[in-house]
Amino acid sequence: MLEAYIHSLYTEDPGRETPAETRERLKDLFPRNASRRMTQLGQLVGAVLGRIGPGENEPIVYATAYGETRALESYLESFPAPSPTLFQTSIHPSGVQQALIARQQPIRELFPMTGSDCLTARALEVALLTGASKTLFCGGEERGTWMLDNGAASERTFAFALVLSADPTGAAGHLALTAGEAAFSRSHEPPTATAATRGLSPFFDLLHMRQAFSGLIAPERTLTLAWL
Amino acid sequence: MDALSRHTSPRISACECVTAFGDTRATLNGLLDGARALAPTAVLGRDGGDMVPIGLAPGRSYEETSRPNWLPYLRALIARLPSGDWGTGRRPIVVTSSNFGVGALHAFRRSGDRSFLALGTPFACVAWLAGELGWGQNVTIFSHACVSAHLGLLHGSRLLAAGLADSVLVFSFDFLSPFVVGGFHALKILNADLPAPYQDRATGSVALGDGAAFAVLTRDRGEFEIPAQRLHNEMFHFTSNRVDGAGFTACLASMAEATSGRKLWVKGHGTGTLEAGRLESTLLATAYPDAPLVGWKGGIGHTLGSCGLVELAIALEGMRRGRVPGTVGSAPPAFGPTVAFEPFDAAPFDSVLCTSNAFGGAHAALLVAHA
Repeated sequence: MLEAYIHSLYTEDPGRETPAETRERLKDLFPRNASRRMTQLGQLVGAVLGRIGPGENEPIVYATAYGETRALESYLESFPAPSPTLFQTSIHPSGVQQALIARQQPIRELFPMTGSDCLTARALEVALLTGASKTLFCGGEERGTWMLDNGAASERTFAFALVLSADPTGAAGHLALTAGEAAFSRSHEPPTATAATRGLSPFFDLLHMRQAFSGLIAPERTLTLAWL
Repeated sequence: MDALSRHTSPRISACECVTAFGDTRATLNGLLDGARALAPTAVLGRDGGDMVPIGLAPGRSYEETSRPNWLPYLRALIARLPSGDWGTGRRPIVVTSSNFGVGALHAFRRSGDRSFLALGTPFACVAWLAGELGWGQNVTIFSHACVSAHLGLLHGSRLLAAGLADSVLVFSFDFLSPFVVGGFHALKILNADLPAPYQDRATGSVALGDGAAFAVLTRDRGEFEIPAQRLHNEMFHFTSNRVDGAGFTACLASMAEATSGRKLWVKGHGTGTLEAGRLESTLLATAYPDAPLVGWKGGIGHTLGSCGLVELAIALEGMRRGRVPGTVGSAPPAFGPTVAFEPFDAAPFDSVLCTSNAFGGAHAALLVAHA
């Protein structure tokens, strides 16, 4: 079993706020020049990470299924004269890099991850195996436009960041990830986890609402989440 | 004791690649001959654009097809993978890439063919690939531009160290498309010239290349081991390094203890850009003045998120055969004094330091030694 205490949890749940509205709301958090070029996801991840204040020797695990969807959409629209700025902004893991470059904050270990139903379980596994005294786990999505219409983007915008540590002092919560020994299915469909417990968005809801949870979040991976 | 050094050294029991030369053996042969597998190609494919050098897998078309034309190359690569229930509980897979099937999104925009959308997201592409290759669901996916493969190797090592796996398949693939070549060209990183890594010349140039590779990590089987792996992210600028080379220095400094007393050679990143090449080669020469430095992207192109694993496979094949390719495509004068232009014997060395860099000032280093 892998486990850690949760410290310094921050979430952003802007609903249908537009990228321009997000920029206006969060503009004081970033240098003016940087804010103008940041994506919505970059600003939201930057906001939650900034409240934690990452340190150089604290590994960061960054999870997003779709990444910088709006930049990707605009980059694709820029052909046949592809935009260099949109190309660079659309590259995974631009969201977390926008935030950290704006802060000029070096980070020794950065693990940008992607995935779908099992993303939360895999990202937690990576975060719980760093061996560092503090590991930051962050993630999020931004709602797409025409890519959403084509099933290739998130329906929802959100971001979260939390600190995982072995230290229980002052902790807000505790999580444990248990690995089973049984064989994995080859169907690429988690056999028992329900849609409500899979993926990054349901995990975000658990964090945002400070809800306790115990159950499968991927084949042979059980998450136990408790709030102290 | 830091987070990494508490781990025992994982072994590499198999490691193979495919590049624009072909398989691992063909790639090593081509590089030892000083050959280039690069050809001028229109940036936007059938839509034209400037001609830039790229390296496509032998016989592969640059044009996107709804059933990816790179799948046969991955099947051929996987045929050299030791059989087993990969993707099951004790045999997890770590997939890394910077491209996945993203070229399909551009193809969808261009053609309107919705079948391209099936590969348009990284996770959908990996799920499709897993189905095609008969893998199970225990798959972890990293994407960190051109250091992606290093993350896969590091996490695979941690899964072994934690006792969560008996063996780990680290698999990486990146195949070129107008999406990514167009992006690099827009950034003015590509031009009509061929790359000459670490060569002190007036204009830098980079070539991109197809690449895929795998490594099987175990606790106790394999002729090579990985004594140390390190990462560092400058977060200075998206597309340039700090001018003082602080990121290179920090990454190399963290390897100092692990490399002390070793007789090593260095496989650098060496894309062919001037400033990064100057920083990399001079700082490596300072840290390892007796270690010859080579870079192979002048022969195979930059295989992007897969370069760390592709070039590891080439390095290990060279160590097995006793001959290491030089810095293909380059000639004196070099930026640094340790750049090796010609092939050399591997016998005097006990290990290789493999380094990669990426957008965002990301740095990765991997030490591999005979077990």
